[in-house]
Amino acid sequence: MIQLSKNYSLPERQEEIIPIKVVGVGGAGSNALDRIVLDGLERADLVAINTDVQSLASSVAAHKVQIGRAVTRGLGTGGDPELGYQAAIESADEIRQALVDARLIFICAGLGGGTGSGAAPVVAQLAREAGSLVIVFATLPFSFEGKRRAVQAQETLSRLNEIANAVICFENDRMGDMVAPKAGIHQAFAVADMTISQSARSIVNLIQRPGLIRIGFDDLFAALRSQNGRCLFGFGESDSDNRAHDALTQALKNPLMDRGRMLAEAAHVLVQVAGGPGMTLSEVEILMQELGKHVRDNTQILFGTAVDGRMGNRLSVTIISSLAAEEEIAPQSEFVASEPIQEPPPPIWEEPQPSEPPAKIDILSGRRGDTDSSRGEPDPIAEESPAGDLIPFQQPAPEETPPPPLPSPAIKKPVAMPRLIVPKQKPLPVKEPKPAKEKYAQAKQEVLQFEPVTRGRFEKSEPTIVEGQDLDVPTFLRKNIRVK
Amino acid sequence: MVGLEIGTSKICVVVGESRPDGTIKILGVGQAPSRGVRKGEIVDFETAMKCVHEAVVDAEQKSDVMIRSVYVAAAGSHIQSFNNRGCVLLPEDRDEIDDQDIEDVKISAREVSIPAPNAFLHSIIQHYHVDGQDGVLSPVGMLGQKLEADFHIIHGVRTRIQNTIRCVKELPLDVEDVVFSALASAQVVLTQHQKNLGALVIDIGGGTTDYILYVDGAVKQSGVLAVGGDHVTNDVSMGLRIPMARAEKLKIEEGSCILGNCLPGETILLKDDSGFAGKEIERETLNTIVHMRVGEVFELLKRTLEEESFINYTGAGIFITGGCSLLNGIDHLAGEIFEMPAHVAHAQTMSGLTSAFENPQFSTAIGLIKYAQAVQADRPRGRGIGRIFGKFFSGMR
Repeated sequence: MIQLSKNYSLPERQEEIIPIKVVGVGGAGSNALDRIVLDGLERADLVAINTDVQSLASSVAAHKVQIGRAVTRGLGTGGDPELGYQAAIESADEIRQALVDARLIFICAGLGGGTGSGAAPVVAQLAREAGSLVIVFATLPFSFEGKRRAVQAQETLSRLNEIANAVICFENDRMGDMVAPKAGIHQAFAVADMTISQSARSIVNLIQRPGLIRIGFDDLFAALRSQNGRCLFGFGESDSDNRAHDALTQALKNPLMDRGRMLAEAAHVLVQVAGGPGMTLSEVEILMQELGKHVRDNTQILFGTAVDGRMGNRLSVTIISSLAAEEEIAPQSEFVASEPIQEPPPPIWEEPQPSEPPAKIDILSGRRGDTDSSRGEPDPIAEESPAGDLIPFQQPAPEETPPPPLPSPAIKKPVAMPRLIVPKQKPLPVKEPKPAKEKYAQAKQEVLQFEPVTRGRFEKSEPTIVEGQDLDVPTFLRKNIRVK
Repeated sequence: MVGLEIGTSKICVVVGESRPDGTIKILGVGQAPSRGVRKGEIVDFETAMKCVHEAVVDAEQKSDVMIRSVYVAAAGSHIQSFNNRGCVLLPEDRDEIDDQDIEDVKISAREVSIPAPNAFLHSIIQHYHVDGQDGVLSPVGMLGQKLEADFHIIHGVRTRIQNTIRCVKELPLDVEDVVFSALASAQVVLTQHQKNLGALVIDIGGGTTDYILYVDGAVKQSGVLAVGGDHVTNDVSMGLRIPMARAEKLKIEEGSCILGNCLPGETILLKDDSGFAGKEIERETLNTIVHMRVGEVFELLKRTLEEESFINYTGAGIFITGGCSLLNGIDHLAGEIFEMPAHVAHAQTMSGLTSAFENPQFSTAIGLIKYAQAVQADRPRGRGIGRIFGKFFSGMR
């Protein structure tokens, strides 16, 4: 993938290196972390967080945090998110220390298990408190792993969505599509890890690579911001003759992309094209033109390009976007995107060691105040996080009814012991008062469902299903080959 | 003798006569575009009947023969096949195998469970075994105690086959027999020598792809995949967003299964109905669509065939026939995928209308005549013929 060579000297802009940490939570998280290490991620600290000492010991991460020494005694959580949650709470200080001094924190976790589901939201919370931007890579379990795990995963996912700045969610089931049917099961899991690793690395590269047209945090978050949304991510690299086309095709082939079909619904699409010194303008033009066919006219394309000597004659394309959750397809940030969404949060310098919970609320709410006044629209992420993270925790203490946006967290934290299971109706009341949706209602265009109507003239005949495929659907559609 | 094939894209009627020397002369071919047929099966009875009538009238005019009874080809995804062995023990007091034993062993081979709604279409003898001696071709008169026989049994859903028969009977014409279409095609596409060497016949028609595999002179595998030329057309129509009729024409005139054979950016100019220049289409795009579909059909067939090992014994290679075999480069693609020589083939060893039998579109209909000839030659020998279901036909290889 990305070749590393130590003797390469960075061009100017060196001072812009952003401290990044990649945190793997739980077993699946550390697997993904290992993969990231093996694939090579430069200029990022790697932190493994787990309850299971054995798994932690085998991790290749430089920094390891064992959580829940008292709760689990060095064993795993046995798939109980409650335990994972308690473990994380118990070791909150250690986690906080591990996360300090990073502006961007990636959290990798496999949802559905104990540690991943239980601890990841806490870690994300602590990371946010530390003032970092948090991007979560979450894998959802295979459907064969059972309903219960799926439910646990979904609950955690919705919590992470509330806490983190962005959640990039990989459905393991979809990974299956990328693995040959006869490949071993370890390969299926490895594919998920590899996809995570690839995504993390390309995002890091995206931000850190000195660009001709730079892509910064602001662009990244413009592309990623959506509530409970679905993250679209694609990365492709090619060095063939037709590398612009091939790289794009590859990027669109990513399981999170759904062959670019999803892009049609996105309001913002971030594209970075990187290549060696040989990259030509016309290549970039071709590529962007092709990409343009996949998106709507009013989609904002955040374009960045970078020339990187290490790329040799390869050309890579990274596409990042997000879809709003189904009930709110109308892009909520139509005008926000034209200016920097969210300043890379300053608090690290103001407050290097945010150790007390109260501090975080100040930071969050304070920052929210700033941005609000400048933009006139509440930042949905910031708005959600205080409520989102606290409500579920205080659930067991019935004397405290769901608080208005600014509760005094000092009281809440200690009470916040068990019960990870978030009642479904809880987050909703917070969401509802969100303003300014109707305003953009005209942007809500139903995208015609393409899939089921493609049997053409065989519509009314008996379907021909062989090996699980409906052969009446054109082959090129089933094989995701773009023909025009 | 008349062969009638109710295809998905066209209905064709071939009238032929059997010469005393065993050859067949084609007297006339009638055809009519088919409507109301999808994937080899009738979906609109009335319309299909009209089309069959048209085709029959056409054939009567061209051949100057009054058509009374026909052999009908059956296709459709419901047709399945398997191999089974029947076994009879001769009574203690007799050790010479006679005709009755042959019938018995056939009945015993059929004593297998096929799904309740299904009916036997063919039981084709592969080999006899007498007291463990393999590869006996004609056991009558041989001495032995135990007679076994391997049969290739083709069966399909009874009611669906009956629909075809009813459609013909309403005309009214008599149905002499119903023949699995690939079996009929193979009769004229392959020579006996090729059957012995081992050959795979793939009959790609409008709605279905039928295949039959001969090894050692005997049918080993056969079946139907309900994907055919219509699917290619449909794909082209959807991929290029042009109407079906246009897509069909484009497929026939320009389509090719070979990729990378055209200049980059080479385009085809579509003329609209008034003759004015319309849409431009990239040739490579068209070819990709066709290639994907046809390639997939072959891949699926290959996978199906590889479930048993017979495909490895095809010395003569692959013979592609049927209307869709006229696609450019289809033999190359088949050869590539199956990794053996592939040919586009049409009916052989006929006399009469050359244009008819040299067209792979008519392979099945002509094959029906050949089949009829073989059956009729058998008939004096007292084999049970004339029952549409549960035919006891074994002379045909």
